Amino acid sequence: MRRGLMQWDEDELPTAALDARTRRLQDAMHRGDLQALLAYTNLVRPSAVSYLTGFTPYWSEGVLLLGCDGPPVFVTALSKRVAGWIRSVSPVGEIVNAPRPGHVIGARLAADPSVRRVGVVELDALPAGLFDDLAAAAPNLEWVDATPVFAHARRGADAVERRLTAQADAIAVAALDQVDAAAVAEVGALIGTVEAHARLNRAEEAYILVAPDLLSDRRMIRASRPLSLGSRFAVCASIAYKGHWVRRTRTFAKEAAAARDLAAADRWLEHLVGSVNGDAPLARQIAAFLDGLAGADLRGWTAESCVGSYPLQVVATSAAADGWHQRSGDLLVLTIDLAIAGAPWLGAAPAHVGGGA
Amino acid sequence: MADTGLNVLVLYGNAWQCDYLRYATDFAILEGQGLALARADGRVTLYLDSGLDADRAGLECAGVEVVHAPNLVAVVDAALDPLRNQRIGAAPYRLLPRRIAARAQDLKLTDDTMFLDRLLMAKLASEIDAVRRAARLADAGYAVFRAAARPGRPDYELIAEVEAFYRANHVDDNFQIIGVGGPEVRGMAPPSGKRLKRGDLVTTELTPCVDGYYCQICRTLVVGPADPEQLAAFAVFREALEAGVAAVREGITAADIARAQNDVFRRHGLGAYVTSEYTRVRGHGMGLFADSRPHLLEEVTTPIEQGMTLIVHPNTYHPLVGYLVLGDALVVTGDGCEVLTATPRDLISVPV
Repeated sequence: MRRGLMQWDEDELPTAALDARTRRLQDAMHRGDLQALLAYTNLVRPSAVSYLTGFTPYWSEGVLLLGCDGPPVFVTALSKRVAGWIRSVSPVGEIVNAPRPGHVIGARLAADPSVRRVGVVELDALPAGLFDDLAAAAPNLEWVDATPVFAHARRGADAVERRLTAQADAIAVAALDQVDAAAVAEVGALIGTVEAHARLNRAEEAYILVAPDLLSDRRMIRASRPLSLGSRFAVCASIAYKGHWVRRTRTFAKEAAAARDLAAADRWLEHLVGSVNGDAPLARQIAAFLDGLAGADLRGWTAESCVGSYPLQVVATSAAADGWHQRSGDLLVLTIDLAIAGAPWLGAAPAHVGGGA
Repeated sequence: MADTGLNVLVLYGNAWQCDYLRYATDFAILEGQGLALARADGRVTLYLDSGLDADRAGLECAGVEVVHAPNLVAVVDAALDPLRNQRIGAAPYRLLPRRIAARAQDLKLTDDTMFLDRLLMAKLASEIDAVRRAARLADAGYAVFRAAARPGRPDYELIAEVEAFYRANHVDDNFQIIGVGGPEVRGMAPPSGKRLKRGDLVTTELTPCVDGYYCQICRTLVVGPADPEQLAAFAVFREALEAGVAAVREGITAADIARAQNDVFRRHGLGAYVTSEYTRVRGHGMGLFADSRPHLLEEVTTPIEQGMTLIVHPNTYHPLVGYLVLGDALVVTGDGCEVLTATPRDLISVPV
């Protein structure tokens, strides 16, 4: 659920930026012989629609219909009473409230003789009920997976995206700064502290996970039951601000000497994410950076980016680094798993890819 | 499944709607999506496309085979191939990925959402116990909300304090929306940054989740002393809630509970405000989803059964004072119902 601040500010997200994104996608649609494009949204998969409209549903679902020209139409199962709220949080074009959005969109598409091929972002994953309604209302149209078209058109963060992501990151960093590793003893207290700070700083959403005892297990959990923190633990803060998500992971140690080692690793990570460029494969850049951190062995890494409907989606890992290459302008979240002098360390931070191809 | 002849159930879930999947796996998705294959012999395989969630499921779901499947739809599609000679049901069918639903004929895949809905509505004693514990935390969370409300504070700070309280008390999820203001307010939504001021009505429904089970409470407070119009309007809502709760018993329908509440508004000349133009439902089921079946509406004929957990809430717009909410959670018993939430049904005034 979205429980934090949801608010649209023209200065932060100018309509001109959204119009430019829409035109870019419409150009790509034209090149792909698509006369219309559909993007599905719910609170789990909000990012394709959010990229074009700034809108994220806190509940229910909707579909954005984009024609070859003009502004998009947003059709949502949220009731008519919520239309005013939608307008207050995003400058989306026309809003249609309908219990079955597929019927409405299908009928519109079928009534337009210029439409033959309709692209759907993540067609395979579209909810069956929605697709059945679309196909029933527009039986003669060709439905095409438009995931690559969308991903290509939205690649390279514009200034607005960089600014809002930086704000999300600032909230995450400040929230993690609240952790007093020596003083905090229990998982719930830790998560409550971090989450409160993020939400009071206007986070739209905050998912806080903890690996409570890194020395025994690197996996992250929620605060579902009382659990003591070990001598070394990690906190992952996934933070949204105005539809823009980052993930920050930091490792903490209760002992002062270990904490100093961790601080060096944190500085190393900041240096790494500040240096990622499009000139060489990510794996090679990470490996080269390891020389700068004494005693560190790389256990693995993950790169996430927003390329479709998910806020953050894995685009490359140390196990599967081929097939995707970062480009200048991409926004990534890099998660690094190290052993430093034999002890576990986890870190994650956003990177804005500079230079290169 | 044995009664219905089903060999396998395909269950879909995400962080918005996870109840069907959680029923078989006891796992709550935080990011991404999941599909579970629950077999009649008790074996369950849970496919998750988020690595973080797959890690967590490995720790939290004893007895469930967990598969991290970044390409979720393709992996589950392939996993269904060897099951083609079996009877496969799916729920909730409308949210099933299109690629899998497109193979319904090939896979003999049927929509068994209603079968799951029946299981989700009638609770076991252990499920009612979880809802009962969630009810206590709903009351406690509202006390935090009330203490946080004061003039000048933006609405999101109230929510932040409630969420922090819940995380510190091991409540890992909560559905909550809010409304702040007067007659211009037509409903509730996530916080918008509006600052509380004297005379504002502050509405909220908060819905903590304990061991997977949600329980909701709806209350309205006023910043400073309530004015006579606010008090008079609130009295109608309290009368409607009391009428709705009094109507609850085994053997009636969801419509009967809705009608009992709506009749109060009609008697007060406010019948127009219980239509879909101003309100959504007069309450709903609660359990593994914050807003589950049955919806309490005059056209819903679902029978009310012992063991159902519901919230009765006559929430709607009042033309003189704005949107008002008041609702209590209850469990249907053999001779009526037991109200689970204990916060007084008052228009609470916070000092200025």
